[in-house]
Amino acid sequence: MIIAIPLCASLLGAIAILLTPADQPGRVRRIAVAAAGAALAAAVGLGLTYDAARGGYQHELVIPWIPTLGVSCHLGVDGISVVLTLLHAICAFAGVLVSYSITERVKEYFLFYLLLIAGVFGVFTSLDLFFFYLFYEMAVIPMFPLIGIWGSHDIKDYATMKLTLYLTAGAVLALLGLLGLYFAVDLRTFDLVALEQWLAQRPLPGDLQRWLFPFLLVGFGVIAPMWPLHSWSPIGHAAAPAPVSMLHAGVLMKLGSYAIIRIGLGLLPQGAYAWMPWVASLCMMNILYGGFVALAQRDSKFMVGYSSSSHMGYVLLGIACLNAVALNGAVLLMFAHGVMTALAFALIGHIYDQTHTRLLGDWGGLAKAMPFVATCFTIAAMASAGVPGFGNFVAELLVVIGAWDTYRWQGVGAVFGVVITAVYMLRAVRTGFFGPLPARWASLRDATTPFQRLPYLVLIAVLVIVGCWPGPLLAVIDSSTHSLIDRVNAIRTVARLDHPPSPSLPLPSGERGGMRGSAEAAG
Amino acid sequence: MSALPWSPMAVELWLAAVIAILIWYDLTAAADDKPKIAILAIAGLLPVFPLAFAHPERSGAFCSGMYLLDPLARGFKAFFALTAILVIAMTREFARHITRGIGELYLLILTATFGMMMLASAGDFLMLFIALEIITLSFYVMTTYLRTDEKSVEAGMKYLILGALSTGFLLYGISFLYGYTGSTNFAALREAIARSPTLPPWPLLGFLLIVAGIGFKVAAVPFHWWAPDVYEGAPTPVTAFLSVGSKAAGFVVLLRLLHGVFEPASGVWMGLLVWIAGVTILYGNLVAMAQMNMKRLLAYSSIGHAGYLLIGIAAASGLGAAAVTYYLGGYLFTNLAAFLVVIAVFNATGSDDLTAYAGLSKRAPVLAAAMFVALLSLAGVPPLAGFVGKFLLLMAAVHRGLLWLAAIGAAAVVISLYYYLLIVKRMFVDPPADPTPIPVSRPVRWGLYGCMAGILAMGIWQQPFLALAVASVRSLFS
Repeated sequence: MIIAIPLCASLLGAIAILLTPADQPGRVRRIAVAAAGAALAAAVGLGLTYDAARGGYQHELVIPWIPTLGVSCHLGVDGISVVLTLLHAICAFAGVLVSYSITERVKEYFLFYLLLIAGVFGVFTSLDLFFFYLFYEMAVIPMFPLIGIWGSHDIKDYATMKLTLYLTAGAVLALLGLLGLYFAVDLRTFDLVALEQWLAQRPLPGDLQRWLFPFLLVGFGVIAPMWPLHSWSPIGHAAAPAPVSMLHAGVLMKLGSYAIIRIGLGLLPQGAYAWMPWVASLCMMNILYGGFVALAQRDSKFMVGYSSSSHMGYVLLGIACLNAVALNGAVLLMFAHGVMTALAFALIGHIYDQTHTRLLGDWGGLAKAMPFVATCFTIAAMASAGVPGFGNFVAELLVVIGAWDTYRWQGVGAVFGVVITAVYMLRAVRTGFFGPLPARWASLRDATTPFQRLPYLVLIAVLVIVGCWPGPLLAVIDSSTHSLIDRVNAIRTVARLDHPPSPSLPLPSGERGGMRGSAEAAG
Repeated sequence: MSALPWSPMAVELWLAAVIAILIWYDLTAAADDKPKIAILAIAGLLPVFPLAFAHPERSGAFCSGMYLLDPLARGFKAFFALTAILVIAMTREFARHITRGIGELYLLILTATFGMMMLASAGDFLMLFIALEIITLSFYVMTTYLRTDEKSVEAGMKYLILGALSTGFLLYGISFLYGYTGSTNFAALREAIARSPTLPPWPLLGFLLIVAGIGFKVAAVPFHWWAPDVYEGAPTPVTAFLSVGSKAAGFVVLLRLLHGVFEPASGVWMGLLVWIAGVTILYGNLVAMAQMNMKRLLAYSSIGHAGYLLIGIAAASGLGAAAVTYYLGGYLFTNLAAFLVVIAVFNATGSDDLTAYAGLSKRAPVLAAAMFVALLSLAGVPPLAGFVGKFLLLMAAVHRGLLWLAAIGAAAVVISLYYYLLIVKRMFVDPPADPTPIPVSRPVRWGLYGCMAGILAMGIWQQPFLALAVASVRSLFS
C-alpha cells in the first residue's frame, strides 16, 4: 500500500487546499508541506524496502478500473522508477519549501503545484499505459497556470503557451503510438506488466515495431527534450517561478526519457534497436549544440535551461547505447541531474526574488552579499561540470564508458560536452558571484534561517551522498536495467533485421488487416 | 401500466400531459406566477428518468416498427431530460433579458425535448421526420426570442431558412429510399440494403441527401454555415440547448441510420464520413482560434466537437458508437457548465466578448474555476470527461485503421488547447477591467457544482458510464 502514498498524499493535499479558505495562506502552506513530506517519507520507504536482489516490479497494487477496455489502476515500481520516484519526492519537498517565497494567490499556487506533483508521481508509479498517459497529461497542464500567473513578466505568456502546446503535441503523438500498440497486441489490455510478459513471448513483427517506435520516441522525446524539439524548454525554465523550474527541469524532463525506457525499450525492443542510431546522433546535437548555446547566454536561467537540455543529451545517449552500463548511467544521471538542476534553479530563484534580474552580468559579486547562496551555487556548478564527488560525475562516466563500444565518437563528443559545461558554469560563477559587487546589491539578504537553508542543504547532501557512495542506488537501478537490456538483446538475436528503418515506412497491409479484423473491443 | 399496449411510450405520454397542463397554467396564471413554470417543468421532467428505464424486459419495436424502445432510446431519453432540466435552470438565470412570453419559452423547451424523446425512439423515417420537425419548429421560435435584438432575429431567420432547406434535403432523400425499397421502416430498409450493400445510384443519392440533412442538424462541414450566427444571436440558454440537445439528437439519428440501417453498406460511406469528420474537426478548431466573442467561439468549437463525434460514426464499430455516446454524455456537463458561466458573466457585464472575461478569477472565483474545468474538458485534458471521450474516439479510429483521422483528431487537441488556454489566461492572468466582484446566485453555483461533479465523475470513474454507453449501443449491432 505504501506505493499509493506519494500519489494519494499529493492528491489529498490538493483537495484539502481546495477546501481551505483563500485568506489562510499559512494553513495552505502547511498542508502542502505535510503532503510533500508524507510523499517524501513514503518514497524513501519505497527505496529502502525495494529488494534489489530480487529485482523486477515490486510493491504492486492492482485495482480493476475499466475492465471493458482492460484498464486497471496498476501501481508498482522497479529499480528505475523507484529511483525516479525518490528524485521527484526530494525535488517536490524542496520545491514546496522554496515555494514559501510565493506570496501572491497562495491557495491557487499550491493547488496547481500539488496537482503537478501528483501527476508526476502518478507517471512514475503507474504500470498501466492508460494511467501512465493520464498522469502524464495531468502533469503537463498545471504548468500553464503555474508559469502563466506566477512567472517572470517579460516572457511568461509566450513561454507558457509554447511549453503547453509542445508537450501536449508530444503527448497526443505518443498516445497514437500507445493505441497502435494496444490494438497490435491480441491481449486488449493496457497493463504494462501483462504486455511485457506477452511481448517477451510473442514479439510484434519487426516492421510494426519499427513503425510504432517513432511515435513513442518523438512523442515522449519532446519532453525529454530531444533536439530539435527542445526549444520549449529553456524559455519555459526561464519564465517559470523558481519552484516550478525546479520540478520542470529536475523531474518533468525525466518523464520523457523514463517513458522511452519503460515503454519504448520495454515493449518495442526491436523498434528501439532500429531507431537508436538516430537518437545517438540527435543527442550529440543536444550535448554540443545545447552546450554552445548555453555558452552564449547572459541570462542565468536560460543558461541553466540550455545546460539541462545539453545534459539530457547524455541521458538519451545512455539510453541509445542499449547496454546495461550506459543505461545505468542514464538513470543515475536523471537522478543526479534532477537534484543538481533543482538546486541551481532554487538558488537563482532566491536571487531573482530580490534582484528582479536574471542577468549574470547584473549580479556582479553576489558572493559578498549572500555567501551561503554563492557557496551553494558554486557547488551546483561543480556538480554540473562533472567534478568527482558528485553524482553527476559517476553517471556521466558510466554513460561514456557504456558508449565506448557502441557509439565511440558520440562518447568522445560527450566528454567534450563536459568541457563546455565547465566553461559556462565556471564563468557564471565568476561573473555572477565573484566580480565587483554593485552598490545596489549591498543590502541583499542571504538565506540565513535554517528553514530557508533546509531545501538547499537537502539537495546538496543528496548530490554528495550519491557522488561518494553510489553503490546502493546503482544496485537498485542495475536490478532492473539488466533484465531490460537482456530482454532487448534476446529479442534482437532472435529477430532478423533486414530492413533499414525509414521514417515513411507504411504499415504493412497484412498487419493492418490483422488490426482491422481483430475482435471488437466493445459492442 | 404494463398491461396496456401503449406503455412503451410512457415517457412521451407523460411529457405530453405535462406540456398540456403547463399550457393551461400559462394561460390562466397571473403574470407574476408565470416564472414558476420553470419549477413545474423541472418537476415534470424528473419522472422521465424512472419511466425511461422502467421495464427493461419490454424493449423492442412497437407500433409496427414505428417506435423503438431499446437501450439506446432509453439512455438518450434520460440524456435529453437532463439536458432540458439544466437548460431550464439556465433560462431562469437568463429570464431577466426576456421581456415577453417567458412562460412560453419554457413550454417550447419542453416541446423540443418531447421531439427529442420521440426522435430517440424513431424506428421509421416517417416518425423520424415528424420528431425532427417538432424539434426544429420549437427552435425556430426560441432562437428569435429576443425579438428586439437584431442578432436574435437574424439568427432565427437564418435558422429557419437553412433548417427548411435541410428538411427538404432529408425528405427528398427519404423519398428516393422509399422509391427504391417501398418502405420507410428502418428494419425493412436495413434488410433491403443488406441485399445490395454496394448501394445502387438511386438509394445512394437518397443516402447522400439524408446525410446532408442530418449534417445540418449536427453542424458538420460543409453544412455548418448557420451555426456561428445562430449560436451568437440566439438567447444563450437556447444556444446551449442547440449545442447539446439538438446536436445529440442529430447523433442519435446518425447512430440509428449509419450504424443501423446503412450498416451493411458501411464500405460505401466510411470514406465519405472520414473526410467529413476530418474536415469538420480542422475547420471548427482552426476558425475558433480567431474568435473574439465567447458564444461564437463556442459555436466553432462545437463544430469541432461534431467532427470528433463523427470519428465514432465513421469508425462504424461498437467501440465507435459507445465512444459517441460517452463523448455526448461528457459534452452535456461540460458545455452546459460553460454556457452557465457565459450567462452569469453576461448578466454581470452585459457582454459576451472575450474581453469581459479578463480577470474573472478575481471577480468570481467560482465562475472562473468552473470555466477552467469546462474548457480543459472540452480540450480533452485528463482526468476530465472530455479526455475519456476523446480517448475512446481516437481508440475507435485506430482500431479501424483510420490512422489519418486519428492523427487529425490528435492534432486538433493541440489546436483547441491553444484557444481554450487563451481564455484561461484572460481569466486567471489578465487584470480585470472592472474589479467589482460578480455575485453568483445559488442556483448558478449549484448548477456549476453539479456539472463539475459530472465532468469529474466521467473523467475519473469511467467504468459505470462506459458500461452504460456500451449497453446502450449494443442493440444497434445485434
